[in-house]
Amino acid sequence: MKTLEGKIAVITGGSSGIGLATAKRFVGEGAHVVITGRREKELKEAATFTERNVTTVVGDVSRLEDLDRLYAVVKEKHGHIDILFANAGAGTIGPLAVATEAHFDQTFDVNVKGLFFTVQKALPLFKDGGSIILNSSVSNVLGLPGFSAYAASKAAVRSFARAWTLELKDRKIRVNAMSPGPTETPALETTTGLTPEQAEQAAAQFASQVPMGRRGRPEEIAAAVTFLASDESSYITGVDLAVDGGMAQV
Amino acid sequence: MTRLSGKTAVITGGATGIGLAAAKRFIEEGAFVFIFGRRQEALDAAVAELGPNARAVMGSVSDLADLDRLYTAVKAERGTLDIVFANAGAGSVAKLGEITAEHIDETFDTNVKGTIFTVQKALPLMGKGGSIILTGSSAGTTGAPGMTAYSASKAAVRNLARTWAEDLKGTGIRVNVLSPGATATELAKAALGEEGQKAYAAMTPLQRMADPAEIGAVAAFLASSDSSFMTASEVAVDGGLAQL
Repeated sequence: MKTLEGKIAVITGGSSGIGLATAKRFVGEGAHVVITGRREKELKEAATFTERNVTTVVGDVSRLEDLDRLYAVVKEKHGHIDILFANAGAGTIGPLAVATEAHFDQTFDVNVKGLFFTVQKALPLFKDGGSIILNSSVSNVLGLPGFSAYAASKAAVRSFARAWTLELKDRKIRVNAMSPGPTETPALETTTGLTPEQAEQAAAQFASQVPMGRRGRPEEIAAAVTFLASDESSYITGVDLAVDGGMAQV
Repeated sequence: MTRLSGKTAVITGGATGIGLAAAKRFIEEGAFVFIFGRRQEALDAAVAELGPNARAVMGSVSDLADLDRLYTAVKAERGTLDIVFANAGAGSVAKLGEITAEHIDETFDTNVKGTIFTVQKALPLMGKGGSIILTGSSAGTTGAPGMTAYSASKAAVRNLARTWAEDLKGTGIRVNVLSPGATATELAKAALGEEGQKAYAAMTPLQRMADPAEIGAVAAFLASSDSSFMTASEVAVDGGLAQL
Protein backbone atom coordinates (compact mmCIF):
# COMPACT_ATOMS: atom_id res chain seq x y z
CA MET A 1 0.00 0.00 0.00
CA LYS A 2 1.30 3.42 -0.94
CA THR A 3 0.30 5.95 1.66
CA LEU A 4 0.47 9.13 -0.46
CA GLU A 5 -0.93 7.91 -3.79
CA GLY A 6 -1.85 10.84 -6.02
CA LYS A 7 -1.12 13.49 -3.38
CA ILE A 8 0.41 16.85 -4.24
CA ALA A 9 3.19 17.81 -1.83
CA VAL A 10 5.31 20.95 -1.52
CA ILE A 11 8.69 20.73 0.22
CA THR A 12 10.76 23.82 0.87
CA GLY A 13 14.50 23.30 1.20
CA GLY A 14 14.36 20.26 -1.03
CA SER A 15 17.86 20.31 -2.55
CA SER A 16 19.59 18.21 0.07
CA GLY A 17 19.44 16.55 3.45
CA ILE A 18 16.10 15.98 5.14
CA GLY A 19 14.10 17.82 2.45
CA LEU A 20 15.54 15.76 -0.39
CA ALA A 21 15.20 12.46 1.50
CA THR A 22 11.57 13.34 2.18
CA ALA A 23 10.95 14.17 -1.48
CA LYS A 24 12.30 10.75 -2.44
CA ARG A 25 10.15 8.97 0.14
CA PHE A 26 7.03 10.95 -0.84
CA VAL A 27 7.51 10.05 -4.51
CA GLY A 28 8.08 6.43 -3.49
CA GLU A 29 4.73 6.56 -1.69
CA GLY A 30 2.97 7.79 -4.81
CA ALA A 31 3.02 11.57 -4.37
CA HIS A 32 3.97 14.29 -6.82
CA VAL A 33 6.36 16.72 -5.16
CA VAL A 34 7.26 20.32 -5.81
CA ILE A 35 10.62 21.12 -4.24
CA THR A 36 12.21 24.50 -3.71
CA GLY A 37 15.72 25.63 -2.98
CA ARG A 38 17.85 28.71 -3.37
CA ARG A 39 20.56 27.25 -5.58
CA GLU A 40 19.40 26.32 -9.07
CA LYS A 41 22.21 23.89 -9.90
CA GLU A 42 21.85 21.87 -6.67
CA LEU A 43 18.07 21.86 -6.94
CA LYS A 44 18.08 20.59 -10.52
CA GLU A 45 20.62 17.90 -9.63
CA ALA A 46 18.55 16.87 -6.62
CA ALA A 47 15.49 16.41 -8.80
CA THR A 48 17.22 13.84 -10.98
CA PHE A 49 16.41 11.04 -8.49
CA THR A 50 13.23 10.46 -10.44
CA GLU A 51 12.19 11.05 -14.03
CA ARG A 52 8.67 12.03 -13.15
CA ASN A 53 6.56 13.33 -10.30
CA VAL A 54 8.94 16.11 -9.32
CA THR A 55 8.88 19.83 -10.12
CA THR A 56 11.54 22.31 -9.06
CA VAL A 57 11.08 26.00 -8.30
CA VAL A 58 14.13 28.07 -7.40
CA GLY A 59 13.50 30.51 -4.60
CA ASP A 60 14.18 31.76 -1.09
CA VAL A 61 11.43 31.34 1.53
CA SER A 62 12.39 34.64 3.14
CA ARG A 63 11.43 36.48 -0.07
CA LEU A 64 7.67 36.76 -0.33
CA GLU A 65 7.74 37.26 -4.09
CA ASP A 66 9.60 33.95 -4.43
CA LEU A 67 6.83 32.22 -2.46
CA ASP A 68 4.24 33.80 -4.75
CA ARG A 69 6.10 32.39 -7.73
CA LEU A 70 6.28 28.96 -6.10
CA TYR A 71 2.56 28.77 -5.50
CA ALA A 72 1.79 30.17 -8.95
CA VAL A 73 3.67 27.19 -10.38
CA VAL A 74 1.87 24.75 -8.06
CA LYS A 75 -1.49 26.25 -8.99
CA GLU A 76 -0.83 26.06 -12.69
CA LYS A 77 0.56 22.54 -12.59
CA HIS A 78 -1.66 20.85 -9.99
CA GLY A 79 -4.39 23.25 -8.94
CA HIS A 80 -4.14 22.32 -5.27
CA ILE A 81 -1.90 21.14 -2.39
CA ASP A 82 -2.48 18.16 -0.07
CA ILE A 83 0.76 18.23 1.91
CA LEU A 84 3.21 20.95 2.85
CA PHE A 85 6.55 20.20 4.48
CA ALA A 86 7.90 23.61 5.56
CA ASN A 87 11.45 22.47 5.90
CA ALA A 88 13.74 25.26 4.71
CA GLY A 89 15.84 26.49 7.59
CA ALA A 90 19.10 28.18 8.41
CA GLY A 91 21.36 28.02 11.42
CA THR A 92 24.79 29.55 11.74
CA ILE A 93 26.95 29.84 14.80
CA GLY A 94 26.55 33.12 16.67
CA PRO A 95 27.53 33.25 20.32
CA LEU A 96 25.56 35.81 22.34
CA ALA A 97 28.57 38.02 23.03
CA VAL A 98 29.52 38.51 19.39
CA ALA A 99 26.46 37.75 17.23
CA THR A 100 25.52 40.52 14.82
CA GLU A 101 22.14 41.95 13.93
CA ALA A 102 22.56 40.43 10.47
CA HIS A 103 23.01 36.98 12.04
CA PHE A 104 19.85 37.35 14.08
CA ASP A 105 17.81 38.74 11.20
CA GLN A 106 18.95 36.10 8.76
CA THR A 107 18.04 33.28 11.15
CA PHE A 108 14.59 34.62 11.93
CA ASP A 109 13.93 35.72 8.34
CA VAL A 110 14.30 32.17 7.07
CA ASN A 111 13.15 30.02 10.00
CA VAL A 112 10.28 32.13 11.34
CA LYS A 113 9.14 34.72 8.82
CA GLY A 114 9.88 32.46 5.86
CA LEU A 115 8.02 29.54 7.38
CA PHE A 116 5.09 31.73 8.44
CA PHE A 117 4.53 32.98 4.90
CA THR A 118 5.29 29.60 3.35
CA VAL A 119 2.21 28.33 5.17
CA GLN A 120 0.06 31.44 4.79
CA LYS A 121 0.55 31.61 1.05
CA ALA A 122 -0.16 27.89 0.64
CA LEU A 123 -3.58 28.12 2.28
CA PRO A 124 -5.62 29.26 -0.73
CA LEU A 125 -4.47 26.14 -2.58
CA PHE A 126 -4.77 23.77 0.36
CA LYS A 127 -7.28 20.99 0.22
CA ASP A 128 -9.43 20.57 3.31
CA GLY A 129 -8.17 17.55 5.22
CA GLY A 130 -4.55 18.15 4.23
CA SER A 131 -1.43 17.91 6.36
CA ILE A 132 1.14 20.56 7.20
CA ILE A 133 4.46 19.57 8.77
CA LEU A 134 6.77 22.20 10.21
CA ASN A 135 10.44 21.35 10.60
CA SER A 136 11.43 22.43 14.09
CA SER A 137 14.40 20.99 16.00
CA VAL A 138 15.31 19.34 19.29
CA SER A 139 16.95 22.67 20.03
CA ASN A 140 13.44 24.06 20.62
CA VAL A 141 13.77 22.68 24.15
CA LEU A 142 17.54 22.28 24.56
CA GLY A 143 20.24 24.77 25.39
CA LEU A 144 22.67 24.86 22.48
CA PRO A 145 25.60 27.21 23.16
CA GLY A 146 26.41 29.41 20.17
CA PHE A 147 23.07 28.71 18.52
CA SER A 148 20.62 30.67 20.65
CA ALA A 149 19.01 32.49 17.71
CA TYR A 150 18.54 29.21 15.88
CA ALA A 151 17.09 27.46 18.92
CA ALA A 152 14.71 30.32 19.66
CA SER A 153 13.55 30.41 16.05
CA LYS A 154 12.77 26.69 16.23
CA ALA A 155 10.80 27.20 19.46
CA ALA A 156 8.74 29.75 17.52
CA VAL A 157 8.09 27.10 14.87
CA ARG A 158 6.83 24.65 17.48
CA SER A 159 4.53 27.37 18.79
CA PHE A 160 3.06 28.00 15.32
CA ALA A 161 1.80 24.41 15.22
CA ARG A 162 -0.34 25.02 18.31
CA ALA A 163 -2.11 28.16 17.09
CA TRP A 164 -2.46 26.99 13.51
CA THR A 165 -4.03 23.73 14.65
CA LEU A 166 -6.89 25.80 16.00
CA GLU A 167 -6.97 28.31 13.14
CA LEU A 168 -7.23 25.52 10.56
CA LYS A 169 -9.36 23.03 12.45
CA ASP A 170 -12.56 23.88 10.60
CA ARG A 171 -10.81 23.00 7.35
CA LYS A 172 -9.66 19.69 8.89
CA ILE A 173 -6.08 20.59 8.07
CA ARG A 174 -3.70 19.01 10.55
CA VAL A 175 -0.60 20.95 11.61
CA ASN A 176 2.29 19.27 13.37
CA ALA A 177 5.85 20.15 14.21
CA MET A 178 8.57 17.54 13.73
CA SER A 179 11.80 17.93 15.65
CA PRO A 180 14.80 16.06 14.33
CA GLY A 181 17.86 15.49 16.44
CA PRO A 182 21.33 15.72 14.93
CA THR A 183 21.11 14.30 11.42
CA GLU A 184 23.76 13.21 8.93
CA THR A 185 23.18 15.96 6.40
CA PRO A 186 25.66 18.16 4.56
CA ALA A 187 24.35 21.20 6.45
CA LEU A 188 26.63 20.84 9.47
CA GLU A 189 29.71 21.15 7.27
CA THR A 190 28.41 23.56 4.68
CA THR A 191 26.04 26.05 6.28
CA THR A 192 26.76 26.47 9.98
CA GLY A 193 29.99 28.45 9.67
CA LEU A 194 31.94 25.78 11.56
CA THR A 195 35.40 24.76 10.34
CA PRO A 196 35.71 21.14 9.10
CA GLU A 197 37.44 20.24 12.38
CA GLN A 198 34.72 21.91 14.45
CA ALA A 199 32.02 20.19 12.38
CA GLU A 200 33.64 16.81 12.93
CA GLN A 201 33.92 17.46 16.65
CA ALA A 202 30.32 18.62 16.81
CA ALA A 203 29.14 15.47 15.00
CA ALA A 204 31.00 13.24 17.46
CA GLN A 205 29.73 15.24 20.42
CA PHE A 206 26.14 15.06 19.15
CA ALA A 207 26.37 11.30 18.76
CA SER A 208 27.55 10.99 22.36
CA GLN A 209 24.60 13.08 23.57
CA VAL A 210 22.04 10.90 21.80
CA PRO A 211 20.83 7.86 23.77
CA MET A 212 20.83 5.87 20.53
CA GLY A 213 24.54 6.68 20.23
CA ARG A 214 24.48 8.02 16.71
CA ARG A 215 23.08 10.76 14.50
CA GLY A 216 19.93 10.12 12.49
CA ARG A 217 19.94 9.40 8.79
CA PRO A 218 17.91 11.72 6.55
CA GLU A 219 15.82 8.70 5.47
CA GLU A 220 14.79 8.09 9.09
CA ILE A 221 13.56 11.65 9.47
CA ALA A 222 11.80 11.36 6.11
CA ALA A 223 9.95 8.25 7.32
CA ALA A 224 8.54 10.18 10.26
CA VAL A 225 7.55 13.11 8.03
CA THR A 226 5.80 10.68 5.70
CA PHE A 227 3.87 9.28 8.67
CA LEU A 228 2.70 12.79 9.59
CA ALA A 229 1.84 13.55 5.96
CA SER A 230 -0.29 10.43 5.54
CA ASP A 231 -3.63 9.28 6.92
CA GLU A 232 -1.66 7.00 9.25
CA SER A 233 -1.54 10.02 11.58
CA SER A 234 -5.16 11.09 11.04
CA TYR A 235 -5.76 11.75 14.77
CA ILE A 236 -2.49 13.60 15.37
CA THR A 237 -2.48 17.39 15.29
CA GLY A 238 -0.71 20.14 17.20
CA VAL A 239 2.09 17.85 18.36
CA ASP A 240 5.84 18.20 18.26
CA LEU A 241 7.08 14.80 17.07
CA ALA A 242 10.62 14.28 18.34
CA VAL A 243 12.72 12.18 15.97
CA ASP A 244 15.91 12.59 17.88
CA GLY A 245 17.22 9.24 19.05
CA GLY A 246 16.08 10.31 22.50
CA MET A 247 18.35 13.38 22.68
CA ALA A 248 15.81 15.81 24.13
CA GLN A 249 13.68 13.16 25.84
CA VAL A 250 15.75 11.78 28.70
CA MET B 1 2.11 -2.42 3.74
CA THR B 2 3.88 -5.33 5.34
CA ARG B 3 6.34 -3.48 7.51
CA LEU B 4 6.09 -6.08 10.30
CA SER B 5 6.57 -9.13 8.16
CA GLY B 6 7.95 -12.04 10.22
CA LYS B 7 7.85 -10.08 13.48
CA THR B 8 6.43 -11.39 16.73
CA ALA B 9 4.43 -9.03 18.93
CA VAL B 10 2.89 -9.10 22.39
CA ILE B 11 -0.05 -6.81 23.11
CA THR B 12 -1.34 -6.61 26.68
CA GLY B 13 -4.93 -5.54 27.04
CA GLY B 14 -5.24 -6.97 23.57
CA ALA B 15 -8.73 -8.45 23.55
CA THR B 16 -10.65 -5.22 23.03
CA GLY B 17 -10.39 -1.53 22.19
CA ILE B 18 -7.03 -0.05 21.28
CA GLY B 19 -5.18 -3.32 21.92
CA LEU B 20 -7.41 -5.27 19.55
CA ALA B 21 -7.22 -2.54 16.90
CA ALA B 22 -3.42 -2.66 17.12
CA ALA B 23 -3.47 -6.47 16.90
CA LYS B 24 -5.50 -6.28 13.69
CA ARG B 25 -3.14 -3.75 12.22
CA PHE B 26 0.02 -5.63 13.24
CA ILE B 27 -1.32 -8.83 11.67
CA GLU B 28 -2.28 -6.97 8.48
CA GLU B 29 1.33 -5.79 8.33
CA GLY B 30 2.64 -9.33 8.60
CA ALA B 31 3.20 -9.88 12.33
CA PHE B 32 2.35 -12.82 14.55
CA VAL B 33 0.57 -11.51 17.64
CA PHE B 34 0.06 -12.73 21.19
CA ILE B 35 -2.77 -10.93 22.93
CA PHE B 36 -2.95 -10.97 26.70
CA GLY B 37 -6.03 -10.13 28.74
CA ARG B 38 -8.02 -11.05 31.79
CA ARG B 39 -11.26 -12.36 30.26
CA GLN B 40 -11.14 -15.67 28.39
CA GLU B 41 -14.39 -15.00 26.56
CA ALA B 42 -13.14 -11.71 25.13
CA LEU B 43 -9.80 -13.31 24.20
CA ASP B 44 -11.55 -16.14 22.38
CA ALA B 45 -13.70 -13.72 20.41
CA ALA B 46 -10.65 -11.64 19.52
CA VAL B 47 -8.63 -14.62 18.31
CA ALA B 48 -11.59 -15.78 16.21
CA GLU B 49 -11.62 -12.35 14.61
CA LEU B 50 -7.84 -12.05 14.23
CA GLY B 51 -7.29 -15.41 12.55
CA PRO B 52 -4.41 -17.90 12.41
CA ASN B 53 -1.61 -15.44 13.25
CA ALA B 54 -2.99 -14.66 16.69
CA ARG B 55 -2.69 -16.44 20.01
CA ALA B 56 -4.27 -15.56 23.33
CA VAL B 57 -2.92 -15.95 26.85
CA MET B 58 -5.22 -15.19 29.76
CA GLY B 59 -3.84 -13.28 32.69
CA SER B 60 -3.38 -10.00 34.49
CA VAL B 61 -0.33 -7.73 34.06
CA SER B 62 -0.37 -7.10 37.80
CA ASP B 63 0.24 -10.81 38.45
CA LEU B 64 3.89 -11.65 37.78
CA ALA B 65 3.22 -15.39 37.45
CA ASP B 66 0.71 -14.61 34.68
CA LEU B 67 3.36 -12.61 32.83
CA ASP B 68 5.77 -15.52 33.16
CA ARG B 69 3.18 -17.79 31.55
CA LEU B 70 2.72 -15.29 28.73
CA TYR B 71 6.41 -15.17 27.86
CA THR B 72 6.82 -18.93 28.27
CA ALA B 73 4.14 -19.32 25.60
CA VAL B 74 5.85 -16.79 23.32
CA LYS B 75 9.22 -18.48 23.73
CA ALA B 76 7.78 -21.94 23.10
CA GLU B 77 6.07 -21.03 19.86
CA ARG B 78 8.21 -18.24 18.43
CA GLY B 79 11.55 -18.29 20.28
CA THR B 80 12.06 -14.52 20.17
CA LEU B 81 10.05 -11.33 20.48
CA ASP B 82 10.29 -8.14 18.41
CA ILE B 83 7.49 -5.88 19.59
CA VAL B 84 5.89 -5.28 22.98
CA PHE B 85 2.83 -3.07 23.15
CA ALA B 86 2.31 -2.62 26.91
CA ASN B 87 -1.21 -1.38 26.64
CA ALA B 88 -3.18 -2.88 29.52
CA GLY B 89 -4.52 -0.13 31.75
CA ALA B 90 -7.15 0.62 34.32
CA GLY B 91 -8.76 3.77 35.58
CA SER B 92 -11.61 4.83 37.78
CA VAL B 93 -12.74 8.15 39.20
CA ALA B 94 -12.09 9.32 42.76
CA LYS B 95 -11.87 12.96 43.79
CA LEU B 96 -9.26 14.17 46.22
CA GLY B 97 -10.92 13.67 49.59
CA GLU B 98 -12.48 10.37 48.51
CA ILE B 99 -9.35 8.47 47.47
CA THR B 100 -8.79 5.12 49.15
CA ALA B 101 -5.59 3.12 49.39
CA GLU B 102 -7.25 0.37 47.35
CA HIS B 103 -8.05 2.82 44.57
CA ILE B 104 -4.41 3.92 44.33
CA ASP B 105 -3.06 0.38 44.56
CA GLU B 106 -5.41 -0.96 41.92
CA THR B 107 -4.56 1.80 39.44
CA PHE B 108 -0.80 1.73 40.00
CA ASP B 109 -0.63 -2.08 40.11
CA THR B 110 -1.98 -2.30 36.58
CA ASN B 111 -0.70 0.87 34.94
CA VAL B 112 2.74 1.25 36.48
CA LYS B 113 3.86 -1.98 38.14
CA GLY B 114 2.14 -4.01 35.42
CA THR B 115 3.84 -2.01 32.66
CA ILE B 116 7.25 -2.31 34.31
CA PHE B 117 7.09 -6.08 34.62
CA THR B 118 5.47 -6.55 31.21
CA VAL B 119 8.61 -4.99 29.76
CA GLN B 120 11.20 -6.37 32.16
CA LYS B 121 10.05 -9.94 31.62
CA ALA B 122 9.99 -9.46 27.83
CA LEU B 123 13.60 -8.34 27.58
CA PRO B 124 15.28 -11.79 27.61
CA LEU B 125 13.39 -12.59 24.38
CA MET B 126 14.16 -9.27 22.67
CA GLY B 127 17.16 -8.02 20.70
CA LYS B 128 18.43 -5.45 18.21
CA GLY B 129 15.62 -3.81 16.24
CA GLY B 130 13.10 -4.46 19.01
CA SER B 131 10.42 -1.90 19.72
CA ILE B 132 8.57 -1.32 22.97
CA ILE B 133 5.46 0.85 22.97
CA LEU B 134 3.85 1.99 26.22
CA THR B 135 0.29 3.27 26.31
CA GLY B 136 0.27 6.63 28.06
CA SER B 137 -2.61 9.06 27.98
CA SER B 138 -3.38 12.70 27.34
CA ALA B 139 -4.41 12.54 31.03
CA GLY B 140 -0.72 12.24 31.86
CA THR B 141 -0.20 15.90 31.00
CA THR B 142 -3.59 17.46 31.66
CA GLY B 143 -5.64 17.99 34.80
CA ALA B 144 -9.09 16.40 34.94
CA PRO B 145 -11.39 16.21 37.96
CA GLY B 146 -11.33 12.94 39.85
CA MET B 147 -8.42 11.53 37.85
CA THR B 148 -5.63 11.73 40.45
CA ALA B 149 -4.55 8.12 40.34
CA TYR B 150 -5.04 7.49 36.63
CA SER B 151 -3.35 10.71 35.50
CA ALA B 152 -0.41 10.27 37.87
CA SER B 153 0.03 6.66 36.76
CA LYS B 154 0.12 7.71 33.11
CA ALA B 155 2.61 10.50 33.88
CA ALA B 156 4.72 7.75 35.45
CA VAL B 157 4.43 5.67 32.28
CA ARG B 158 5.66 8.60 30.21
CA ASN B 159 8.73 8.77 32.39
CA LEU B 160 9.43 5.04 32.12
CA ALA B 161 10.32 5.53 28.46
CA ARG B 162 12.82 8.27 29.32
CA THR B 163 14.62 6.12 31.87
CA TRP B 164 14.48 2.96 29.82
CA ALA B 165 15.96 4.64 26.74
CA GLU B 166 19.03 5.06 28.94
CA ASP B 167 18.81 1.58 30.49
CA LEU B 168 18.45 0.04 27.01
CA LYS B 169 21.38 1.97 25.50
CA GLY B 170 23.44 -0.28 23.28
CA THR B 171 20.78 -2.98 22.99
CA GLY B 172 19.19 -1.66 19.79
CA ILE B 173 15.80 -1.79 21.50
CA ARG B 174 13.71 1.38 21.27
CA VAL B 175 10.99 2.45 23.69
CA ASN B 176 8.32 5.08 23.07
CA VAL B 177 5.05 6.19 24.60
CA LEU B 178 1.82 6.39 22.63
CA SER B 179 -0.60 8.73 24.39
CA PRO B 180 -4.16 8.53 23.12
CA GLY B 181 -6.79 11.14 23.78
CA ALA B 182 -10.48 10.35 23.86
CA THR B 183 -10.88 7.14 21.90
CA ALA B 184 -14.20 5.61 20.90
CA THR B 185 -13.64 2.11 22.27
CA GLU B 186 -16.70 0.13 23.35
CA LEU B 187 -15.58 0.54 26.96
CA ALA B 188 -15.17 4.32 26.66
CA LYS B 189 -18.46 4.75 24.83
CA ALA B 190 -20.29 2.84 27.56
CA ALA B 191 -18.50 4.72 30.35
CA LEU B 192 -18.96 8.19 28.85
CA GLY B 193 -22.48 7.87 27.49
CA GLU B 194 -23.77 10.05 24.66
CA GLU B 195 -23.26 13.29 26.55
CA GLY B 196 -19.75 12.44 27.66
CA GLN B 197 -18.73 11.50 24.13
CA LYS B 198 -20.08 14.79 22.82
CA ALA B 199 -18.23 16.70 25.52
CA TYR B 200 -14.91 15.05 24.63
CA ALA B 201 -15.43 15.66 20.93
CA ALA B 202 -16.16 19.33 21.63
CA MET B 203 -12.99 19.71 23.75
CA THR B 204 -10.78 18.17 21.07
CA PRO B 205 -9.44 20.42 18.28
CA LEU B 206 -10.28 17.72 15.71
CA GLN B 207 -13.86 17.86 17.05
CA ARG B 208 -14.33 14.13 17.36
CA MET B 209 -13.12 11.10 19.31
CA ALA B 210 -10.52 8.78 17.79
CA ASP B 211 -11.41 5.56 16.07
CA PRO B 212 -9.36 2.80 17.76
CA ALA B 213 -7.93 1.95 14.31
CA GLU B 214 -6.28 5.40 14.23
CA ILE B 215 -4.41 4.53 17.43
CA GLY B 216 -3.52 1.12 15.98
CA ALA B 217 -1.98 2.83 12.94
CA VAL B 218 0.33 4.87 15.17
CA ALA B 219 1.28 1.77 17.18
CA ALA B 220 2.24 0.13 13.88
CA PHE B 221 4.41 3.13 12.98
CA LEU B 222 6.19 2.94 16.33
CA ALA B 223 6.56 -0.84 16.00
CA SER B 224 8.08 -0.57 12.51
CA SER B 225 11.44 0.65 11.28
CA ASP B 226 9.70 3.80 10.03
CA SER B 227 10.35 5.15 13.54
CA SER B 228 13.93 3.82 13.72
CA PHE B 229 15.38 7.10 15.05
CA MET B 230 12.75 7.50 17.74
CA THR B 231 13.26 6.47 21.33
CA ALA B 232 12.03 7.93 24.63
CA SER B 233 9.52 10.00 22.63
CA GLU B 234 5.90 10.51 23.47
CA VAL B 235 3.56 10.49 20.49
CA ALA B 236 0.31 12.19 21.37
CA VAL B 237 -2.56 10.75 19.35
CA ASP B 238 -5.16 13.00 20.85
CA GLY B 239 -6.62 15.16 18.10
CA GLY B 240 -4.69 18.05 19.65
CA LEU B 241 -6.42 17.72 23.04
CA ALA B 242 -3.33 18.11 25.23
CA GLN B 243 -1.14 20.02 22.74
CA LEU B 244 -2.45 23.56 22.79
